[in-house]
Amino acid sequence: MPRLAGIRDLADLGASLRTERERAGATITVCGETGCEASGSRAVIEALQSEVRSQGLEQRVHVRVTGCLGFCEQGPIVIVEPGSIFYCRVNAHDAAEIVGATTREGEAVERLLYTDPMSGGKLRTLSQIPFYRLQDRTLLALNPEVDPRYITDYIAVGGYSALAKVLGEYSPESVVREITRSGLRGRGGGGFPTGRKWAACRAAPDDEKYVICNADEGDPGAYMDRSLLEGNPHLVLEGMLIGAWAIGAQQGYIYVRREYPSAFAHARTAVEQAREFGLLGDYVLGSSLCFDVEVARGGGAFVCGESTALIASLEGKVGEPRPKDVHTVEQGLWNKPTTLNNVETWANVPLIMERGAAWFSQKGTKGSTGTKIFALTGQVRNTGLVEVPMGTPLRTIVFDIGGGAVAGAAIKAVQTGGPSGGCLPVDKFDLPVDFDTLAQAGSMVGSGGMVVMDEHTCMVDVAKYFLTFLQDESCGKWVPCRIGIDRMLEIVTDITQGRGRPEQLPLLEDLADTVRETSLCALGKTAPNPVLSTLRYFRAEYEAHIVEHRCPAGVCRSLIEYSIDPERCTGCGTCLSVCPHGAISGDRKAPHAIDPSACQRCGICAAECSSEAVVLR
Amino acid sequence: MQPHVSLTIDGALVRASRAKSVLDVALEYGICIPHLCHLPHISDLGACRLCIVEHVEDGRSKVTTSCTLGVQEGMVIRTNTDRIRALRRNIAELLVAEAPNSRAIQDIAVRCGVQRVRYPFRNKDCVLCGRCVRVCAEMWDARAIGFVGRGKDRRVDFPFGIRPSFCKQCQSCVQLCPMTMPPCDGPMEPGQERLCGKCEAQLLAAERAPDSCTWCELGVGFDCARYH
Repeated sequence: MPRLAGIRDLADLGASLRTERERAGATITVCGETGCEASGSRAVIEALQSEVRSQGLEQRVHVRVTGCLGFCEQGPIVIVEPGSIFYCRVNAHDAAEIVGATTREGEAVERLLYTDPMSGGKLRTLSQIPFYRLQDRTLLALNPEVDPRYITDYIAVGGYSALAKVLGEYSPESVVREITRSGLRGRGGGGFPTGRKWAACRAAPDDEKYVICNADEGDPGAYMDRSLLEGNPHLVLEGMLIGAWAIGAQQGYIYVRREYPSAFAHARTAVEQAREFGLLGDYVLGSSLCFDVEVARGGGAFVCGESTALIASLEGKVGEPRPKDVHTVEQGLWNKPTTLNNVETWANVPLIMERGAAWFSQKGTKGSTGTKIFALTGQVRNTGLVEVPMGTPLRTIVFDIGGGAVAGAAIKAVQTGGPSGGCLPVDKFDLPVDFDTLAQAGSMVGSGGMVVMDEHTCMVDVAKYFLTFLQDESCGKWVPCRIGIDRMLEIVTDITQGRGRPEQLPLLEDLADTVRETSLCALGKTAPNPVLSTLRYFRAEYEAHIVEHRCPAGVCRSLIEYSIDPERCTGCGTCLSVCPHGAISGDRKAPHAIDPSACQRCGICAAECSSEAVVLR
Repeated sequence: MQPHVSLTIDGALVRASRAKSVLDVALEYGICIPHLCHLPHISDLGACRLCIVEHVEDGRSKVTTSCTLGVQEGMVIRTNTDRIRALRRNIAELLVAEAPNSRAIQDIAVRCGVQRVRYPFRNKDCVLCGRCVRVCAEMWDARAIGFVGRGKDRRVDFPFGIRPSFCKQCQSCVQLCPMTMPPCDGPMEPGQERLCGKCEAQLLAAERAPDSCTWCELGVGFDCARYH
């Protein structure tokens, strides 16, 4: 492929690719992303490809492997065009049927269609499914259309036209103005106005500048950035190119988390192909923009998602944050002005430049514009990626899109924002999800993780989980973060193990406040949020642990006891045979009993008992 | 660029040369800000976070360490507000609970007004202030010791745990270590750790945490920068 020498070349290539697409027959789109791959999509892809080959349909049916389609719960997902027929939970041996139905226009494999949980009827297309219908998929809209491994797919759907528009019509200053006007705020967690960051970096007096894409996503239960970078890396790259034009940068880096091998591979392929097409390198599309990107890999440290730690890591130093009295937009990478944005922030940029700041700012709320992708996980029926306008109430996300709780248990809380965020109880579900409202409620939007918890979750245990995570991931450089988190964990562990004392709760709050105020980086400053928010909304649970020595959710092992109800026990002997600790005794056909001193409270007996005779107290 | 700037620390207008940190300037003017990991002539890390101050900017005050904060024209700094005193006391309490067997840390706890320790004592040998690591790297250009590990596993060690030939055994690291001077009553046995608190009489009786430097003996244990 020759280099694209100008804007005109790009437009011509786009047009010819589009006609080629229209001429092609049906397309079978299969999600090849990590979520679906875990449910076996690779076998499905191979089966579909060999089926198409063996039926000799290569000219008429195209199999496209794409990035995340969002509805990970129902994976592997297959979408057939024309007709947008949506198949879920597809197996490799369904391939023949799918290919067969595809060749006969208008036909679908009924049994693979999605079943509406409300009506029980089969839904044929993606847009009919409530999970998708209630979303506003803007950033993720292109994921089903694009095979991330081919730049031509992206150009065919209008990719890089925003860059062409910017290079042709906008001065760097006017790009910064447009982004400022759109009200875009950083999607990585901080919510800092992107336009202001860019303006400061542009104004910094230096000829050498850098842009960085932060793809070191590490929050438990969050995978928005991975899906974007895996599914549509060129969108991110295009955003970085526009950013480089606006700021005046010559070099960019994409810092990908070590644990995301395919995001790394796709980003690297994208960079190589963009270079080949003349979209990276000197004089991009014949303009004066000279910009190249390198893809770097993290080493597995959560703290490297923090901007200064990431920069240290890129420089080859130990990934630890540094004091931030001098901002990175003035002295960042190699002490040069640097603009660091999250994957999702970069991905928003081409859309804003293409469709205008006004289009962007009419979505969302006044202070938080645009859409945001959330990774909905936990005890909710429809887990997956959800993209909604900012300001959508939590209730809509969890109950309408998420489909409510699994298996009838009542939803108790939702944890937003990962380890830096907090838990919001169900009576706060009417809050609109935007940066300012959630911060006021003691949580945060963060990068967009949402873990739904039901009544079988102990909130003290949740706080303990996040503290353990943070204790492992704190860099340990500073006293309040290293020792403070350690002491908080010590107190919370005491509480979950029944050694809690009432005076420990105010101590916990005091300590949390100290850690928040005196820590250096955002990781430390937000570390107490899981504790503070659970203390604020679920204090009764803490008190039950301390005063009554009882875990209301039945999770904390030291505070629960299993016993057998002799009236219900049929003496079948199942529990006796499954107990790994030999704690159950009893004769056949006679009620059994658990020896509390030998019982390790694993709960296997309760799960196995068919007459529900094992009682948890 | 002018070589000097003026800034306000605790209401006093002071003049300082541009390259200095707020902590240096405050100490120079006799304003006492407790500190542990800070050493003169060595780069600042901000690890102990005892030297926190309130930096008032556009009407909003931000808590930050004064050792890593460079002076700027027109800065407004408050070193001894109720808020700062409470935070500093909590940090000193964390430190003394971690390593009570050090005169320096006991002194700091007294100086910061710790009256009781609400956590179980741990009796560690190192609080990771990083004085040794920085003096080795910056004074002697040796880098014979460094930080190893992350989070709770972080410790100071030789490369791969073996003393390298470029360690000249100059003992600078030992001399500057705040853990080398035991408390006045001698080392505390495990299980016997306590807050010493004997030196309280050294502080002015009227105020528990003086804002002006009293040349107190409490600084001896940790090599207070005021003595340099």
